[in-house]
Formats: sequence, C-alpha cells, structure tokens
Amino acid sequence: MSIAAEPILRAQRLSKRFGGVVAASGVDLAVAPAEFRCIIGPNGAGKSTLFSMLCGIYRPDAGRILLKGEDVTRLPAFRRVRMGLGLTFQTNRAYHLLSVQQNLEIAARAAAAGRDAETEKRFNYAVSLFHFDSEDDRPARELPHHQLQWLEIAMVLAGGPEILLLDEPTAGMSPDETMQTAGVLQHLNETGLTIIVVEHDIAFVRKVAQIVTVLHQGYIFAEGTVSAITAREDVRKIYLGRTQ
Amino acid sequence: MTAAAAGLWRLINGREDIGRTPWFWGPALAVIAVFALLPLEATEFEAYNVAYYLLNVPMALGLSLLWGYSGVLSFGQVAYFGIAGYTYGVVAGNLAPSPWAPVIGSAAGLALAAAVGAVFGYFVFYGRVQAWIIPILTLVFTLLLETFLGQTAGYQWRIGHVQLGGYNGMTGIPSFQLGHLIFSGYAFYYLALVITLVTYFGCRILANAHAGKVLLAIREDVLRTELLGYDIRLHQLGVFVLAAVLAGLSGLLYVQWGNYITPSQLGLVPAALPVIWVAIGGRERLLAVVIATYVLNWINYSLSGAGNEYAPVVMGALLLGVMLFFPRGIIVTLSSGWRPNARKGAAKRDAVFDENGR
Repeated sequence: MSIAAEPILRAQRLSKRFGGVVAASGVDLAVAPAEFRCIIGPNGAGKSTLFSMLCGIYRPDAGRILLKGEDVTRLPAFRRVRMGLGLTFQTNRAYHLLSVQQNLEIAARAAAAGRDAETEKRFNYAVSLFHFDSEDDRPARELPHHQLQWLEIAMVLAGGPEILLLDEPTAGMSPDETMQTAGVLQHLNETGLTIIVVEHDIAFVRKVAQIVTVLHQGYIFAEGTVSAITAREDVRKIYLGRTQ
Repeated sequence: MTAAAAGLWRLINGREDIGRTPWFWGPALAVIAVFALLPLEATEFEAYNVAYYLLNVPMALGLSLLWGYSGVLSFGQVAYFGIAGYTYGVVAGNLAPSPWAPVIGSAAGLALAAAVGAVFGYFVFYGRVQAWIIPILTLVFTLLLETFLGQTAGYQWRIGHVQLGGYNGMTGIPSFQLGHLIFSGYAFYYLALVITLVTYFGCRILANAHAGKVLLAIREDVLRTELLGYDIRLHQLGVFVLAAVLAGLSGLLYVQWGNYITPSQLGLVPAALPVIWVAIGGRERLLAVVIATYVLNWINYSLSGAGNEYAPVVMGALLLGVMLFFPRGIIVTLSSGWRPNARKGAAKRDAVFDENGR
C-alpha cells in the first residue's frame, strides 16, 4: 500500500445528527486502493451511520463523499453500487425466504446487465467463494448462522465490487469460522479488493487490518497501525466505556 | 426453435406458481377444455354470465403481481379499470359507425390507463413514498375519480357526442368488434376466455423470469436489493404500470360486456373487491388468484342476482375468516400442504451439504 496513491474512497467532514444525537461529526476518511481497513469503536460510536452515509442509505447533513475521485454525495445507493461499492449489513440481510440458489442468482444478475454468460460466471464465482451448493434450493433462513453471513458476503462479491464494506461480518461466528472468513477476505484483498470492515473481534482485526480507525462519539478518535492503536491506553479506555 | 420452446416451457413451468407436475397439467388442460367447449352445453345467457366471472381475472392478476409478488398493496386498481372503461366509451362511441372504433377505443383505454399509472407510480416510487402509505394514496385517487365522474351529469359534460352521464353512468357503449365480427354472446365469451388465459400465462412467465425474481427480492428487502445495484424504483414503477394495464383490460371487457359503466364501479366497495379476491385465494400465487376471482365473482353475482344486499356482507365475512385462519390465502395454504415430499427432500440436501465440509 502506497501512501501516495489517490484514495479510492474518501469522506470529507461528514456530519449527521438524528434529533439531538450526533452520529457523525466531521468524519474524515481516506482509504487507498487495495487497502484493508478496520473501523473499531464502542457501541454508538457512529460506525454503522458512517457506512450508511458512504453507501447512500443516509444523506449526510454536511460533508462530501468521493468514490474513485467522483463526488457521489447525492447519488442514490444503486448508482454507487454500480460504480463499484458493495456493502453487507450488521444484521444479516440475505433474502431469508428465497433459496440459496436464488439469492446468488439475483445478486449475480444485478451486475451482469442481463447477459446470461456474465451472470453464470459471476454466479459460479460467488458459489465457489464459500463452497456453496449451486443447486441448493433450501430457503436461506435454514442455513446455519455463519453460512448465512457468508451468503450475504458472496452475494455482494458476485457484483464484482472494487470496495467492500462489511459491517460486523463475523458477529456470532465461532473463532474457527471467524478465521476462515478472515482468510477468504485476506485472499481477496491480496488480489486488489479494497476492504473496509467494522469489527469488534480484536483477533480478527489483528489478523487482517493494515490500518485501524477508531471512532468515538461520532468523530475519529485515532488512526494508525494495529499495533500502535492497540497499544494506546486512551483507546483501551474508551473501549471499556470510560470517557475522558 | 426447440431451444426457444424449451426456454418458454421452463418459464411457464417455473417454481413461482402452483402446479408443475403432470398431475397438475393434466387436470388443468381438462378444465381449459371444459371452458372451451362450454358453449356446446350452456345457453348464450349462461355463457355471458361465465364471461363476467372471467373478465375480472386480469385485474386480479395485476394486483397479485403488485401486492403478492412485489409487496405493494393497491386499493386503487378499479381506478384504472374505470379509466380504461370510460376512455373506451368516449373514443369508440365517437368513432362509432366505423368498424375499427372498438379497436382504437381499446388501445386508447389501455394507453390512458398505462399513462395515468405511470404518472401516479412515478411520484410514488421515485418520491420513495413509504410502502404503507401507498394503499391510502391509491384509494384516495380512486375515490376522487369516482366523485369527479359522479358530478358529470349535466349536458355540458360530454366529449364529442358521448355523455359522461354523472351517477347514471355512460350508456350505449359499443361492443368489441374486429372488422365485421361483433363480439357478443358466445363470441364475447371466447374473447374473455382467451384474454384470461393469455394474461394468466403471461403473468406466469413474468413471475418465473428474472424480472419476477427481482420483484420477490424487492418484496423481501427493498434496501438489500438496491444495494445489489438494482434500480428498485424502475422495477416497482414497471409492475405498477403493468397492474394498471391489466386492470384497464378488465375495465375494457366490462364495458364491452355490459355496454355501460357508472362511477359506482370506482366506489369504495368495488375498490375493496379485488383485494378480497386476491387475499382469499392467496396473493403469492397467480393460479390461486385466478380460481378465487372466478369463484368469488360467481358467488357475488349469484347473491346480488337474488336481489338483496348480502353479497358485500358475505365477501367481508369470508375475508375476515381467511385473514384469521389462512393468512396466506385458502388456496395457497392448501396447495403448500399437498407436498408430502418437500421436507424429506430438504433433509436429504442438508446431509449432502454437510458432507462437503461446510
């Protein structure tokens, strides 16, 4: 990762409040191409709000979002997705009533613009990522929890994103499953995918993160390498809920 | 050619409707044959009545696609029914002596229903109106239209030489006609039957095609679908316009059947009826909707033919019972209970899935 590279995703002074609650206050973020970034912070720090603004679910009250150098602050979500952004939600939102096969098919078709060969290629790729069964016609809700998480990640990857935003992808997974997930993501990152993950699991963060951003009460509290961040006493303090 | 036919068959026989085995298609073809041969046994009057039960099917299918498959409830399908019916009356009535008047009138009716649906749908979906507000907006639109048409009684309310007629309605609307063939009696029965079958199979193909899967995805999770890169507004607008056109088709058949239309067709009770047919059969399955629409219209017609006001009470009671005991609809609930092997197959696949180490 080169410091000089133009950021593939940049947020400038993003602010958002919900009534009296300040969810984001002047957040600046610059993520380089092929970077693996982790965003950590206590509950309510504004991590999910930041993701929601980046992908277009919420419009920020102030600030700008640049995707591949282009201002996307006012673009609807699906346009940002077509520009190369992908997101999984904090609570799993694969289609629980549709079959595993249909889930992946709908996802693969979205980016293929109706071309059958392209759809099939993307479908097979998504199936292969976590070794799904391409003819699995069980409703997705019957999958074990970790596979449901993998299914949503595979669906987003079927779209061939350049930047992947994952909101607590390993929540509820066993340590073993968490490490498997980390392995797949790391491999994708090595092939050039930019990944930004909101995560609480510090073992996961240590394994994958190149840079860690600490959010606290809607602003960026600290940013740096994993070892530098985890060594800081003040970061530990906010994580334990003691604010200074 | 055969590849195209096989592809078409896959779409007709896909999983998004009831009945995929020879055990379904055999009896289904038999039922279609009975309907096709009905005029051999039935009087012209009886065939005309059966045509009436059929002519509401396109509107119900449109509502099924919109509500059952896409998750958008509309109380306003009768508005498009009325728009197409009135437009046909005005256009065909003015061109009347010409043998092509009914064809031009039908095209105009469908076009206006589509155009109004597109404008209404544009504001609703591109304005990202919350899903639960849409039924209210559609109902308000219908009642506005009813009120407006109700006050068109005076002589000044005429277009060309056709009177809108206020609450007395528009009378003397021409029957459908192709060249010199006028569709009345048995001919109209066949027209209604063919249109019913074509719209049913058309909707079935759509539901099983990719566009139908996207509708299911939108129904389950609008935001997830948008974040896969779909322009959900466009898909919702598309199905809304289609539903408006199908309601318009029913409206056309209605005025060509009875040669009149009144604003009360757009009133509160008629507005609720399509929702009742679709809910009672089961909104998630087209075939269930076809059967329920046919049977309930038959019941409704027989009850009101007896000259009393029981029909709305019976419909309301049926709806209440279905909502309490069969929330997914009677026919859908029964048909999903008739697959004894479904669970066993799923259990087997679970085992296979685990063997693969996942």
